[in-house]
Amino acid sequence: MATAERKTKSTPFLHTLFGPPPAPGVEVVERYSRPVRILHWVNAVAWVVLFVTGWFFFVDQFGGAAQGGASGVLHRIAAVVMVGWALLYFLGSPKAAIKGMLEALKWGKDDIGWLKAAVPYYFFGQDESMPPQEHMNTGQKLWWLVTLGAGALMIVTGGLMWFGGDAISGEGFVWSALLHDIGFIILFSFAMLHIFLSMHPKMSGIFWSMWSGMVSARYAASHHKKWYDRIKK
Amino acid sequence: MADKAILYDATKCTACRGCQVACKQWNDLPAEETTNRGTYENPPDLSANTWLKMVFHEVGSPPNLKWVFTRRACMHCTDAGCVEVCPTGALYHNDLGFVGYDRAKCSGCGYCVEACPFDVPRYSGNVITGVREANKCTLCQDRITNDMLPACVKTCPPGALKYGDRATLLAEAKQRVAEIGGKAMVYGEKEVGGTHVIYVLDDEPSVYGLPAEPKVSGAVTAWQDVLHPIGWGVAAITVLGLGLNYVIAKRKIKVESEGK
Repeated sequence: MATAERKTKSTPFLHTLFGPPPAPGVEVVERYSRPVRILHWVNAVAWVVLFVTGWFFFVDQFGGAAQGGASGVLHRIAAVVMVGWALLYFLGSPKAAIKGMLEALKWGKDDIGWLKAAVPYYFFGQDESMPPQEHMNTGQKLWWLVTLGAGALMIVTGGLMWFGGDAISGEGFVWSALLHDIGFIILFSFAMLHIFLSMHPKMSGIFWSMWSGMVSARYAASHHKKWYDRIKK
Repeated sequence: MADKAILYDATKCTACRGCQVACKQWNDLPAEETTNRGTYENPPDLSANTWLKMVFHEVGSPPNLKWVFTRRACMHCTDAGCVEVCPTGALYHNDLGFVGYDRAKCSGCGYCVEACPFDVPRYSGNVITGVREANKCTLCQDRITNDMLPACVKTCPPGALKYGDRATLLAEAKQRVAEIGGKAMVYGEKEVGGTHVIYVLDDEPSVYGLPAEPKVSGAVTAWQDVLHPIGWGVAAITVLGLGLNYVIAKRKIKVESEGK
């Protein structure tokens, strides 16, 4: 059994924001492998760049920031980084990548149970009616599905606007832009939720699992019981 | 201020293309090297360096062949698709009614190129890197705001181009159409909210290669006028919902922590 390694020099501010990481000596289990964590953070940085530069084009009030064209160039670079890195990850370990994507598609009665129990659970911390969850809980599955679905939409519509040229008419371009911005709205609200949940009192400390890869055994057992029981066998 | 306009009388035009040259000369636009395609028309299309181009159409067959000419440049629409989609305000409506263009503000997004019902704006630059810039006729905003005629109007030998108050020119166009009779018509009075380049044609618009009913695409309206408020609404609901959750959860949920 591994114990927590405190490699990162985290500031107290981050502890306040996300809850402290597992203290030394506390029993921990590995939740995210290093390639997954790198994928996550490369994605996160590219996402922020894409989001901010895209915002300049979408929201007229901030259009001034797009003047001169630097944001358009940054948007393209970030898109290439995001898609390119995901592709590298996929090619590096196709099995793990496919397994990860399939995780989000496996739905059972405990997922229906999660949907029913989510509001009292996340508002009032009532866990009595919350069914045991897998490595990915239902909320994470939903987020994963939104990311994959809207991400595909962004790649297709963005690709059409970028490389479509004369092959797509003006009408095709405008429709792509419309769908691209619908994807933007969806991804904006779900990403806000995603970031917010890392600071939610019910999930205190989970942020650090995407940092060091480790989560306390107690957290794993209380939040992802089916997964925890499986890896403890 | 009263709207200004250009009146183009196709029945007076000789297709000398003096306007094309004057436009290039005044706006400092370089010539383009082209090849002989067996037509007097040249260059083949509008471009970032060709804001005005005369288009030739052969209608019918000998001995009843008609050769008709059209002026192809920004129409300076009232309901301008390009102004609607431009995110940076580089394209805007001037006090005189025409569509002004502030090159320094252009982001190179290319939205205007796609949203124009007349397929007029063009960009120069690199499509792959996105370092590019749109361009189109500005109605010589630098000249007309200094009491000079637009370069194309100034040079037109047969007087097919006129510049002045839109209302006056419109009345003149109608009078001219009455004189010509037959299929003659005014184009641009009501199209896309009224254009600031008005045409006198002596046949259907399609004969001149002009769209019979130019319209800004419904997708542009949905994108700009419907989706934007929806976006703000969704963002507001998201922020309020998360804020509400935070306030309640913070009070109701005791943090379980393994940390120190």
